[in-house]
Amino acid sequence: MARIEIPRFEFVARFARNRGALVGAVLIFLVALTAVLAPVLFPTDPLRIVGAPELWPGEDPDFPLGTDSLGRDILSMIVHGARATLLIGLCASAVATLIGVTIGAIAGYFGGWVDEIVMRTAELFQTIPNLIFVLTIVVILGSTLANIVIAIGIVSWTSIARMTRAEFLALRDREFVQACRAMGMGNGGIILGEILPNALPPVIVLSSLVVAGAILFESAVSFLGLGDPNVASWGRLVGDGRQLIRSSWYICAIPGVAIMVTVLCLNLIGDGLNDALNPKLRDR
Amino acid sequence: MTNGFSRRSFAAGAFGAGALAAGIIGKSGASLAQGTPKRGGTLVATWGGGEPQACYVPAGGGSSPTFSSSKLFERLGRRTMEGAFEGELAEAWKPAADFKSYAIKIRKGVKFHDGKDMTVDDVVYSIGEIWKKYAAAAALTDFAGVEAPDSDTVVVTFNKPVPEFFFSSLLCGNVNYVVPKHVYAGSDPVTNPANNSPTGTGPWKFKEWVRGSHFEYVRNDAYWRKDMPYLDRLIIRYVRDPAGRAAAMEAGDIHIGVFNPVAPPDIKRLTGTGKFVATSKGYEESVWSTSFEVNMRNPIFAKREVRQAMFFAIDRNLIAKTVYYGYARPGTSPIFSPNKEFFTADTFKTAFDPKKAAALLDAAGHPKQKDGKRFTLNLLAAGWFAENGKIGAIVKQGLEDVGVGINLTVPDRPSSIKRIYTDYDFDVAISNQANPSEPVPSTTQYYTSDGIKKGVPFRNASGFHTPEVDALVEKIKVETDPAKRKALVVEFQKITTLECPNLPLVELESITVASTRVQNHSNDPNYLAASWHDIWLAS
Repeated sequence: MARIEIPRFEFVARFARNRGALVGAVLIFLVALTAVLAPVLFPTDPLRIVGAPELWPGEDPDFPLGTDSLGRDILSMIVHGARATLLIGLCASAVATLIGVTIGAIAGYFGGWVDEIVMRTAELFQTIPNLIFVLTIVVILGSTLANIVIAIGIVSWTSIARMTRAEFLALRDREFVQACRAMGMGNGGIILGEILPNALPPVIVLSSLVVAGAILFESAVSFLGLGDPNVASWGRLVGDGRQLIRSSWYICAIPGVAIMVTVLCLNLIGDGLNDALNPKLRDR
Repeated sequence: MTNGFSRRSFAAGAFGAGALAAGIIGKSGASLAQGTPKRGGTLVATWGGGEPQACYVPAGGGSSPTFSSSKLFERLGRRTMEGAFEGELAEAWKPAADFKSYAIKIRKGVKFHDGKDMTVDDVVYSIGEIWKKYAAAAALTDFAGVEAPDSDTVVVTFNKPVPEFFFSSLLCGNVNYVVPKHVYAGSDPVTNPANNSPTGTGPWKFKEWVRGSHFEYVRNDAYWRKDMPYLDRLIIRYVRDPAGRAAAMEAGDIHIGVFNPVAPPDIKRLTGTGKFVATSKGYEESVWSTSFEVNMRNPIFAKREVRQAMFFAIDRNLIAKTVYYGYARPGTSPIFSPNKEFFTADTFKTAFDPKKAAALLDAAGHPKQKDGKRFTLNLLAAGWFAENGKIGAIVKQGLEDVGVGINLTVPDRPSSIKRIYTDYDFDVAISNQANPSEPVPSTTQYYTSDGIKKGVPFRNASGFHTPEVDALVEKIKVETDPAKRKALVVEFQKITTLECPNLPLVELESITVASTRVQNHSNDPNYLAASWHDIWLAS
């Protein structure tokens, strides 16, 4: 219908034209593959104490990346941590996108007092420092994986809502929307079937960045000791190693590098998606 | 007794001395050696925690205000490193024939920092109004009254006989100070503004509190101990994190840090420079432990064998070695092993034995189900010390290996206190205790029915109580013959170790790190709470 179609091969070609994005996508694919294969590669509980504490990488061939302060295998925790970290990132991004798109769409489409109320509420959320807000929610709800995901979703939805609202404001009076109204289509049909597909590309780009942000939030929460202690995540490993930073710095450094690479790759993918999806830049 | 430690102090959770520290402690002899004290100079001290809520808190308020106020105020008595009691503001005390009253002879010629004489009125006021209501309320349950028959004697009376060791320990209690009546009478001691600029009799006079940074104390020129203190100024500085403290010590900005000022790996590094010594002396009367408690409200723990199995499944040596770097030793009894008066090794032992744990659980009617689990428990590791979370991981692994599923949570300090001591929202918990030698009430209140006080932290949270233990503790309270009293406390240890409601996993060894320039330190069995009247700085 009125949807601005991007042919699939063209999308891939545009994405691949951004070399950084291609590298990012490949690396994230590898991280995701590790995450999926974690139980096969390391079938035992990654939080098990398996060796002497504070073995340096390479010191013992059984533990190529060494062990942490309690004698847990760092490689096993990194591999299983990829699972937890990616899962948290994707779920938190999904929660934020769901909240953000719903609220942004309603505000942008209906305008008027609905818009006023919704956007003032969003501003209220934006004025609270994000990390402190996340910590508060986690402390109140308790440190479980699900609660951390919800907390990150709750603080991350505002930028998505604003973006969606802006797109809806731009699109709601376009001819194809007016045509739909003239044909007697309901509000729900117009929002979901007509405007949303056209408003999505920039939102998808933003969502991919929220994944990166969520990973950083989770790392910060775990670093401060408020993460789920039953789950091996990268941030938790950095936090555990903090006390030993002057003697056994590798405990912090290894998961730190993993977090950095993953977040960087997600940002690169975000750039690539922007190139591929943003119609304004199509013929740059 | 000193359990209300600061939230920030969790970061300081570095303890003890053991195999690793043996060499370090060997060197500390030099710092304790008596040279000719040098007059003058400024000493900067810190401790392994944060700034206090007030300079002096009448009810104690934890280790931080105890540290800051104990340099300004003094107690009636003190304990020596050898374990003897000696007078400080009292010259001597002795019981009446029926042990229901004690006469204290007060030291003459002691002046408060504002120039007024310390008299028996101040002592009567302190015991009757401050100790009874705040500082020692839990210990003074059988207190009948206090009066001054003449100008140098104070008589304290009780409703029941009171053992001499208990009374002497009371006179040396952490915050059982003699405070000036003329400052506190007629006011609410808890909110009296003088708590933030105390007027005491101690070797140091309050000068200034720069919040967020330090206390500055100056020499009390009218101090009753002749020629003391040796230094002109004492600064207590607060540094938030252990790495910062280590850096400040290395830079020469801080001379001495008590109660685990730096992380264990840094202890080795600092002493390795030859400019610092580390010692575990000075904590004999304030031994810390990490305890494991089971919640008796969960019907699964009705059987004693299930409670014992929990302890058999935990590798305490591993905890001491990896979590505390050897600066801890496995605990065996609620009375800690440095306690010369009351500790006994002849108790029911629950040393690491997973097979025995599994057998006990099988016998108690909890066989492994299809999923390999017998039952699942919520394990709460109190998050005020970072070490507790690590111990949580070790305990989880130990219990899961014998088929007990574990959900581990590590809440922050306020949530941990609320969930363990108010809501009783745990099945098994990892917490900490610090106890003096006298077992009543600090140690016994974890096992008696009157120790179950909902909302009061560091009391009986397991909910364990039996008429037998209640009666035994009542006997310990009033037994005045030291040998018979020891026998009762041994009995108490045998019962509690057999019942396993709440026992120490490890006893921690706290550490003081000091520059080699600092002389005469770590010479009191609770050095953090000592007055530091004889400390001096070599050039």
